[in-house]
Order: sequence, then C-alpha cells, then structure tokens
Amino acid sequence: MRILEKALLIEILKGLALTLRKMLFARPVTIQYYDKVRPIPAPGFRGRHALVRDEKTGDTLCIACLRCVKVCPSRCINIEYETDPETKKRKIVKYEIEALRCVYCGYCEEVCPVNAIVLTEYYEYIGFKREDLFFDKEKLLKNWDEFIVTQKRPYLNPFWKPRGIPEKFLPAKKREFTGV
Amino acid sequence: MTTYLEINKKQVNEEKWEEPFYLNMGPQHPSTHGVLRLFLELEGETIVNCTPIIGYLHRGVEKLAETLNYNQTIVLSDRLDYIASAANNTAFALAFEKLMGLEVPRRAKLLRTIVCEMARICNHLLWLATHALDIGAMTVFLYCFRDREWLLNIYEKICGARLTHTYVRIGGVRQDFTQEIIDELYKFTEEFPPRIYDYETLIDVNRIWLKRTKGIAVVSAEDAINLGLTGPVLRGSGVPYDVRKFRPYDAYGEVDFIVPTGKNGDTYDRYRVRMEELRQSNRIIRQCLDKLSETEGEPVLAENAPDLLIPEKVRKPEPKPVPKKGVIFKGEEVPVVPPGEAFASIESPKGELAVYVVSDGSGKPWRLRVRTPSFVHISAIPFMAKNHLIADLIAIIGTLDIVLGDSDR
Repeated sequence: MRILEKALLIEILKGLALTLRKMLFARPVTIQYYDKVRPIPAPGFRGRHALVRDEKTGDTLCIACLRCVKVCPSRCINIEYETDPETKKRKIVKYEIEALRCVYCGYCEEVCPVNAIVLTEYYEYIGFKREDLFFDKEKLLKNWDEFIVTQKRPYLNPFWKPRGIPEKFLPAKKREFTGV
Repeated sequence: MTTYLEINKKQVNEEKWEEPFYLNMGPQHPSTHGVLRLFLELEGETIVNCTPIIGYLHRGVEKLAETLNYNQTIVLSDRLDYIASAANNTAFALAFEKLMGLEVPRRAKLLRTIVCEMARICNHLLWLATHALDIGAMTVFLYCFRDREWLLNIYEKICGARLTHTYVRIGGVRQDFTQEIIDELYKFTEEFPPRIYDYETLIDVNRIWLKRTKGIAVVSAEDAINLGLTGPVLRGSGVPYDVRKFRPYDAYGEVDFIVPTGKNGDTYDRYRVRMEELRQSNRIIRQCLDKLSETEGEPVLAENAPDLLIPEKVRKPEPKPVPKKGVIFKGEEVPVVPPGEAFASIESPKGELAVYVVSDGSGKPWRLRVRTPSFVHISAIPFMAKNHLIADLIAIIGTLDIVLGDSDR
C-alpha cells in the first residue's frame, strides 16, 4: 500500500488538488493598490500627526504643559512657548514634530491633558524632501483640517480616553470629554 | 587567530584556489533572514566549519534604556523581535511590575495572554512561510501571509498599530477590547484549525519536504540543553520545557494546554512541534475569550500603576504654610521606583526571553539586560551545520527561527 501510494504520487496530488480548489473557488484577498484603496483603518490607528483646531479661536488647544515632550521616547517633539506676564498663561510660539523620528507609540496623545494632539487615522502620506515630513504648527493644523472633513462629528480618538482605564488616571478635563 | 579577512585576502591573492574553500554567506543573502553573516569553511559542498558574525543590526537597546523611563523602554522592546512584539512588551512589563510590586488586574492578564498567543501564531505563520519558501514550497508562503494579515488587522483594531504594538503597559494594558474585536477573534479561532490542516496537506508528507527536513541538524536532548537552546527548538529534541508551564505568568496558570514535544530532534520534528503549538495557541485564545466575559467591565490597569510620564526625581512633599493650601515638593529626594533588582522570563514564540533590571531609585532603569532566544540560537549554528551541505544550512537557519533584530539588540 505504501509503495503504491508513493508510486502514484498521492500526497503531491492531494496538495495540487488543494491549490486547484483554492484557485477556482476562493476569492483573492489581495487588493490592487492604488486603483482600489484599502478599507479605512480601524479607529485609533496611529497615523499622521495633527493638532486639533479650536473652533472658537481658530488656534490650537495646546496649553504648553510640555507633557508630550517629556513622554516622547524618540524626542521628536519640540515646543517653544512664552508666558503672559499678567495672566501667567502660557502660549505656544513653536510646535514642531519630526515625523521621521517619530515611532508612532501614541504616548503623546494619551498624556495630553486637553486632547490637543492626535495621531490621525490618515496613513497615505509621503514627502520628497526631509522638510516635507517636518511638521510645524501650521502644517499640523492643516493636517487636522484635512483629516476631520472625512470623519463623523463628534470625533473621539480612542487614545484620548483609552477604554477600560480607571478614571483616576485621566486628567479632569478628559473625564467628561465626548469628542470634538 | 586568523581572521576571515586575512583568509579572504590570501585566497584572492593566490591564483590557485585550494581546499578548504572559504565563503561568506550574507549579510545580504535573502535566505539568512536579515543581516546574518556566516563565514563558511567548505570541503567541496560540505560545511567543515561555520562562524556566524552578527552585530549588523545593533542599536544599543540596553544602553538606550538607561536614558529612557520605564514606560518608554517598553517602546524599545517592540523593536527587538519585531514579528512578535506583544510578547516582548509583556516580558519587559513583567520585570518592571516585579520591581514595583504591582498586581495586574485579572482582565488585563487575560488580554495579555490573548495578545501573546496571537503573537505566537503570527510568528509561527511567518516562520512556516519563510521556512517553506527557503526549502522550495511557494504556496504555503502565500497561504500563511493571508492568515497573518487577518491577525494583523485584529491587532490594528486592538491597539492602532500592525507591527510595533506598544500595547502592554506597566500595570496592565493600554486599552480594553471592544465587542467587535472579541467577535472577530472568535471567528478567527473557529476558522484557523482547518487552515492549519491545509498547510499540512501541502507539506506534511510531501516527499521533497521530508527529504529536506528529516535527519537534518539532529540535536540530542543533552546537546540541546548544553547549547542553551529554548523554545520549540529544545522541545523538538524531546525536552518538555516551557516557561508557561514551569513558571506560569499572566493567565497561563488557569488555561489548559499541552506542551508538544518531538522525538528525534531533527528539522522535521521541530516543524511538527511548531504546527502543534499553533493549535494549542488557538485553544488558549479560545479559553481566554470565554473567560473575558466573567470580567466584563473591570479595569485593565492596576490602581497603583505609574503614570506614562514617570518623573526622573521626586522630592518629599511638605504641607504649605497655612494661608496657602496644598503641598510643595521640596526637601530630600525620595525614590520614584523602589531600588532593587528584578528578573522575569516569558516563553516568547522563539524561546525563552528574559529581562533583568536593576533600579537605583530614579525613574529610569540603572541597568537593563535582555536575554534573547535568537542570540543563543545563532550560537548553535556551527554545531548544527557541521558536515551538512550548504543547501541544508538554509534549512538550519530556517528551523532555528532567527530574527536578527532580536539577536543584535
């Protein structure tokens, strides 16, 4: 029996039958990029950076607490700020992210107390020069405008308020936050 | 010691090529799984001696960790074994939790177990794909990548990244599963076992596969222990050592699974062990998903877990003088993390991954040491490759399941 099986190439025929069956009856799983774009990534995908634009003032929400700068493992965020001598409030002058250094861990959006920074679900971005991927404040705000028109409002990124985290770990402003 | 460079020079300068013949395989050889370089001493086509040369992917993870705080170090661990980063995250987090004396909530433990086993399936699928491709089976490669893609899509829903997850965090995990993810994982666990059967139909009894794997790189149980091999490579030689059973961590103590072992310790047995592990991982995921419903609504982070932003230094809080309320932080420094040392090891898909950390009380590790399975496995190549053909060396590299990011660190 063993010899007959070997002589007739039974195990190879079985394998060929499997591939033939897959070829005829299974649907292809590959996508012809760029003609057909991959379905939208899952909510919370860590893609291109953006600074949330405040609709009242038209400026960023950032309060220059520098928490994102301190938590960044690759040290790709650079902030310069000035303090108002009367109200003692900080105002950012410069907000820069070097996207080529970034490791996309999402720590910055998790520690931000006012949900000013976000890693959007937008992933198709390229640059021909290094400067194209060096985001300053204007570029980051523009990224947000480009991203938010494709989203349902109110938009809430999962990392702004991670699921299942005890409330104790969230800053006061984040606890009642429902989206922008 | 005559170096390989000198030997090479000598060979080029002299017109006559003599035995033994020296050959560099890698670091850009497509079958060396990355940037592994093997310096071979050949007698005809038989390998007499083999020297692995590593370090082309050295990034200084251990030193770099000393400049980053404990939560940031977990981001580095993603880049060690980038095929199964959830397992690395868990090893680091376990060591740090031991150092800080944290107790992880049960739900977080179950979630960690699920992502670890998903990582194991991801890793073994990629291993099977590339191993089969090296030996000459193309179709398995396509099928394995199709299924791995499914798992990566689930990972994307869990944590927002496909390869470098950073999902595990000190004291728990970063976020909970949604019902959608649980449903999809249930669907996966149902559909996956028939697919394993498909791969086996293609190669399990295929005569070419058998000829390329049976009796190749035989390691006896004693040799395997002496070489320091762990994981499926050790179990293929018949030693039932598995950290998940010997020192259960996370939720492995409460799930039921079998540790598969081989008999002869050859490449084919190691292949069988890994295929069986795929099934067992599938079983573990299934059991953990069933248990998740018991812990519905529980937090996924320990109450006393540190914030993501661990400060470098903390001073003793003192109450302010009466008119002003609150506290001021001045006076002597107090340790952020208790000084001391901790060791944790897990069964990563490739073998035993161990982390040893020493703390001096600041927010950063004073010293971090990682014992990675790939590094030890590469050192076993000379022993295994002796008196084999060059073509078999490809099978040996494949069967050891090496990732160079893991070995060079």
